[in-house]
Amino acid sequence: MDRRSSIKTLFIISAGAALLPSCLQEDEKPSVSLQKIKINKKEENLIAEIGETIIPKTNTPGAKDVSAHLFALMMIDDCYDPDEQKQFTKGLKEFDTFSKKKFNKTFPECAPPERLELLKSIENKNGIPENVSFFYKTIKSLTLQAYTSSQYYLTKVHEYKLVPGKFYGCVPVKKAS
Amino acid sequence: MGDNKQSRTFDAIVIGSGMSGGWAAKEFCEKGLKTLVLERGRDVVHLKDYPTTNMMPWEFKHRGEVPYDIREANPVISRCYAFKEDAMHFFVKDTEHPYVQDKPFDWIRGYQVGGKSIMWARQTQRWSDFDFEGPARDGFAVDWPIRYKDLAPWYSYVEKFAGISGNKDGLPNLPDGEFLPPLELSCVENYFKDVVSKNYKDRNVIYARCAHLTEPQPIHNEQGRGQCQNRNLCQRGCPFGGYYNTNATTIPWAQKTGNMTLRPFSVVHSIIYDDEKNKAVGVHVIDSNTKESIEYYAPVIFLNAGAINTNLILLNSVSKRFPNGLGNENGLLGKYVAFHNYRGRINAKYDGFRDSKTDGGRRPTSAYIPRFRNLHKQETNFLRGYACTFSAGRRSRTDTNGLGENLKNNLMATSELGDWGIGSQMMGETIPKESNYVSLDPAKKDSWGVPLLKISVGHDDNDDKMIKDFFEQMTEMYSKAGFTDINTSDSKQAPGLDIHEMGGVRMGKDPKTSLLNKWHQFHNCKNVFVSDGACMTSTSTQNPSLTYMAMTARAADYAISQLKKGEL
Repeated sequence: MDRRSSIKTLFIISAGAALLPSCLQEDEKPSVSLQKIKINKKEENLIAEIGETIIPKTNTPGAKDVSAHLFALMMIDDCYDPDEQKQFTKGLKEFDTFSKKKFNKTFPECAPPERLELLKSIENKNGIPENVSFFYKTIKSLTLQAYTSSQYYLTKVHEYKLVPGKFYGCVPVKKAS
Repeated sequence: MGDNKQSRTFDAIVIGSGMSGGWAAKEFCEKGLKTLVLERGRDVVHLKDYPTTNMMPWEFKHRGEVPYDIREANPVISRCYAFKEDAMHFFVKDTEHPYVQDKPFDWIRGYQVGGKSIMWARQTQRWSDFDFEGPARDGFAVDWPIRYKDLAPWYSYVEKFAGISGNKDGLPNLPDGEFLPPLELSCVENYFKDVVSKNYKDRNVIYARCAHLTEPQPIHNEQGRGQCQNRNLCQRGCPFGGYYNTNATTIPWAQKTGNMTLRPFSVVHSIIYDDEKNKAVGVHVIDSNTKESIEYYAPVIFLNAGAINTNLILLNSVSKRFPNGLGNENGLLGKYVAFHNYRGRINAKYDGFRDSKTDGGRRPTSAYIPRFRNLHKQETNFLRGYACTFSAGRRSRTDTNGLGENLKNNLMATSELGDWGIGSQMMGETIPKESNYVSLDPAKKDSWGVPLLKISVGHDDNDDKMIKDFFEQMTEMYSKAGFTDINTSDSKQAPGLDIHEMGGVRMGKDPKTSLLNKWHQFHNCKNVFVSDGACMTSTSTQNPSLTYMAMTARAADYAISQLKKGEL
């Protein structure tokens, strides 16, 4: 199966975003129009890279391919309450400090294995600053939502049938082949 | 046609185009009456005005979620289960049409042609005499002036036209109807059905009857409707016409006769009572866009504005004869409002049937447990009882653990089947009381000069006791079936969220204690009829829409015969 062999390409991830001059991006607006939260292009790219670390591109699309980061920002802006938005942006700022503390560099400057390690440490360990933890959990859940509700996922991976037809109340579970 | 009184005169006026108004329109137009149908909202044309019906999940900007600002500004409607991104354009937002809550009441409204019939839950269980005889037997409200035999032929009449899927279960407390084939129950639903019938003499788990075309008949094809495809996206409006809504059925049917004048954007201010003629002569309408005042006239007027708005119109219809609202000589108009107690829920898991699952479509209904409490005689410390939904299904689960490639592998893998999830919700009868009422706010008015409605309706001790009993009985039944992780919860939701508000203009035998007679006609104003939820003397446990439809068809038939005799 194509999908399974794709795993081998694990560490071939573009670090292109990290090479962009970051000082310019701080003044640049994000790619989506946001009404409530203030995010610059640099932060948008950080979120995109975190998303891509959570669901990387292999020979199937990754988080960036379905614009998960833009979906996440739009959802936080439109659907989250002001307290959550505040905590999210705080966590976003603190995330840099957290990254620097661990690897002496920002997340986009980290190599892919370091990025993965950094996120794992947030997932697994206690003692993570509350805002950083909230920021990460929010990004992860919205990245997952964006990916699993994307056109790609719902047509190529687990097909969503708009018109499913007959309902069967009780059928045997097929053994996995 | 010039704007003269004659051009504004009809054979019949129907106020409201929803679940019951659509039926009044159809019956009058089919019998050749020139009928004016007034709808306060916009027009919604079947197929054409279902903007989201064929949208895929990823095409919704917020994937179904309602944005924060909308939820914040509209807390009441945001509590409704169907108020989601795909159907929120069919619901009235709190900010658009305010009302006054003396006690918390979630008034869920749909102002458009078709009303709430577009977004309803499509459950269609008949009443029986266990319901109609309730008030007389248990000594509350007043005796119903009708019995099951009066309504039975009309249930059949509307069921055949609407298309009801069901199973002939042979239960006296939930009479059989004219059924299209049922959909299947799941393995665990069938298993629970067996467990319950083995353990309890008077308790049954059945397939819930619902307004879905499981096998369309010629009459449905003639309406342009086709088979239900189990999309379970009904609240968006159905491209197949697979479920019953007014827009796909009664309204176009009435339209086809050439006898219907449908007037959207028409807020009914009041009914015009002529003190000399001693009867109602028409209605006073405000055009919701232009705010222009217009009068329409007809010898017979049907009120189908939805239970609470029907009360509002009547309370606002004052004349010399009726200074406190149309027909309101006994002071009971707006009182004895009741609803359904939907607070109790229970869910659980089941470890059995690991080798089985459901498959294919998304079934738009569930199983149903008809009322068994206090059925034949009073046996508990509370009056009446409750029906319950019952559903058991197995969701596929995508593993979202891990990160990076691991996570991606999980997402790409064939989903695993989870446990069987089991759930029930109670649908309890509530007791109509004089202290549960609606009235007009003495000062506040809406944009059209109509007083705001004040709602003072609450739960009582009987409801609390019933919830406790629901938890106990269902836990016992679930336990006997070997379900685990049983969890009960009281949503504490306010009345109204059940969307089954009823009463205020109740039927009865005696003009001293009721407003409408057995034909839904005012005792003291014979050419005005009420056949929506406002007419209900008691609430029973069944979802009421089918009963409103049958009542409306019956009342319209009577009104037509009276018109012909010159009695109105």
